[in-house]
Amino acid sequence: MLSILRSPLLHPLNERQAWSALLGALNPRWSLTEARAQVLSVVVETPTVSSFWLRPNGAFKGFKAGQHVLVGLELNGVREFRAFSFSSAPDADKSFRITVQRQPHGRVTAALHQLKPGDWVHLGQASGDYSPSSQTAPLLLIAAGSGITPMLGLLAQIARSGIDRDVVLLQCVRQRAGLIGDAELAARSASIPGLRRLLHVSEAQGRIDSGSLDTLVPDWQRRETLLCGPASFARSFERAFERRGLLGQLKIERFGSLLPTIDESAPVLPVVFTSSVQSFTAAAGQSLLAAAEAVGLQPRFGCRRGICKTCQCRKQSGIVKNLHTGEISGAGDEWISLCISTPLSRVEISA
Amino acid sequence: MNKIQRRDLNPNELTALAAELDAVRLKVKASLGERDAKHIRRMQQYVLASEISGRGLLMFGWGPLSFIAGVVSLAFSKILENMEVGHNVMHGQYDWMNDPSLNSQTYEWEIVCDGGHWRHSHNVEHHNHTNILGRDHDYGYGMLRLTDAQRWSPATFFQPFWYLLLALLFQWGVAVHDIKIGRYLKGRMGRAEFRERVQPFLRKAGRMLFKDYVLFPLLALWNAPRVLLGNLLANLIRNVWTNAIIFCGHFTRDAHVYMRDEVSDECRGAWYLRQIQGSSNLEGGRWFHLLTGHLSHQIEHHLFPDLPAPRYAEIAPEVRAICARFGIGYNSAGFFRQYFGVLGRIFRYALPPRSRPELMSA
Repeated sequence: MLSILRSPLLHPLNERQAWSALLGALNPRWSLTEARAQVLSVVVETPTVSSFWLRPNGAFKGFKAGQHVLVGLELNGVREFRAFSFSSAPDADKSFRITVQRQPHGRVTAALHQLKPGDWVHLGQASGDYSPSSQTAPLLLIAAGSGITPMLGLLAQIARSGIDRDVVLLQCVRQRAGLIGDAELAARSASIPGLRRLLHVSEAQGRIDSGSLDTLVPDWQRRETLLCGPASFARSFERAFERRGLLGQLKIERFGSLLPTIDESAPVLPVVFTSSVQSFTAAAGQSLLAAAEAVGLQPRFGCRRGICKTCQCRKQSGIVKNLHTGEISGAGDEWISLCISTPLSRVEISA
Repeated sequence: MNKIQRRDLNPNELTALAAELDAVRLKVKASLGERDAKHIRRMQQYVLASEISGRGLLMFGWGPLSFIAGVVSLAFSKILENMEVGHNVMHGQYDWMNDPSLNSQTYEWEIVCDGGHWRHSHNVEHHNHTNILGRDHDYGYGMLRLTDAQRWSPATFFQPFWYLLLALLFQWGVAVHDIKIGRYLKGRMGRAEFRERVQPFLRKAGRMLFKDYVLFPLLALWNAPRVLLGNLLANLIRNVWTNAIIFCGHFTRDAHVYMRDEVSDECRGAWYLRQIQGSSNLEGGRWFHLLTGHLSHQIEHHLFPDLPAPRYAEIAPEVRAICARFGIGYNSAGFFRQYFGVLGRIFRYALPPRSRPELMSA
């Protein structure tokens, strides 16, 4: 039936974009082309963490446990997205859960925490490859703070598979009150007999580092390890694996502290085109367009005075200055014109 | 009526002018938000609602009244989509919203002109080289002589007639504009490049013709001739209206022209100055401005082509005050006065320079 509707013979009567626009006019939340989701329920995990069960529309193409997804809200007219790990495993009814830590000055996470059942959010498509490479090999999961979220999804997946797997979960939190998913993990222990939970509360037991591994998980070297936590936390464990030449069996998901800062003193700053994996440097005061051309790249361009938008690219991260008006950009993702933007920090651009 | 004289500023004044205008721009940019998002979405809803009611009345209505109402409604939809939504979205006025359906580089509008062609001929060429003879191909559209600096040929004598044709078929004029047929005919463009340039035009025009003159008439069954005629009239009304508004933007009596050698080392302030002196505004009410896509604020639009259009009306008094401070003429008047100025120019420069009686230039 659906394939008949998609037949080119019916064109343009079956143009999805047009029908989507029509639906969107009737109800701004309806779309045939853009992935969106409706909030089914909200679960308060801790004073600063809540989980949201979401039901996506047909434009969402599904996910695998351990992946992450961009979730967006319109704030003051601007559609803003943040990435979250799925904290559930794929289910027959297609709904899924994300678990959101409210950031101290985060406008988006604050707005997400206002969501109620029935509300709608924008979605990206699932991405990432964060899951054990083997179905059966012994596993070590290390999670710091809200880094537990992908682990919840992965453990749900293991529980569903019915394979009794040797899994050690090392959960690190600052205070006991910040513990996420305690009841759920207790239930997991029942369905995965091979699951061993270790809890480290740093306020009581002191900062954990890779050195603690030998005492907590003596056989860690023979386990495939997945780690999720802040960049500094991840770094210390990464070094330990590096020293033993075991980096190949470690997968890391980092979050936080990636916000770029303005670097006034740097004579040149690195610029990365993420889609083509090309990188180059731009001097202070040099436009990104001129810098790219200087190394032989050929980005699209038009007027070279910032009015025609031909050279417009999506900045993923980094701070740029408008060469005409001196305007300083934000640090996150937004549109910039290469011809009138000069970097003030490391900049990542998806062309 | 006093003529608005062209004014040239010294480098210091130009720097100061650029700084003042940049400040206006920054202030607006910092205040973009919900209000602008609501505006453009409401406009999209008007476009859709009037298109549905227009096509519905033409297809399923009977009698002359519903026919007229259908034509008016469809023409309204096309005008609002082309002017307030399409033109403005494609300038990047709403890119900051991060809504893919309002993105300047992917938006496709309801007209036979291909979006990619428009982005090039309009955003890149016209807005950059505004009113520079030989560079701004919108100046006279390659067929009208509007200043003595342009060459006269015997064909120029008939330009009032050429203009009438252009106004009636305006969307086609716009559609073939970026193919640059003239360059191909003069042998300055290879066959392969020409074919590549024609392709988007054929694709887009084919789709639009099919929709207005085959698909919707057929869907109306026995009402097919009525729908066909109604669609033709709606397109005609849109053509005449958009043409009149667009011609008032840069071809009014006091809109100035620039020569290539004048702008060879133009600074940003001089670019701003040229945008002001090459453009002219139209005065009117809120719905008049909406139906012109705020091109009635051509001066503000050319200074800041990527600010949401309804903001032009808000900053116009400020821009006008800045112009007054620098002694720059601010070309603004009612529609009829400006449009008669345009028609006057079309007639006046149809004549070769010497044979024209001096009286008319007063």
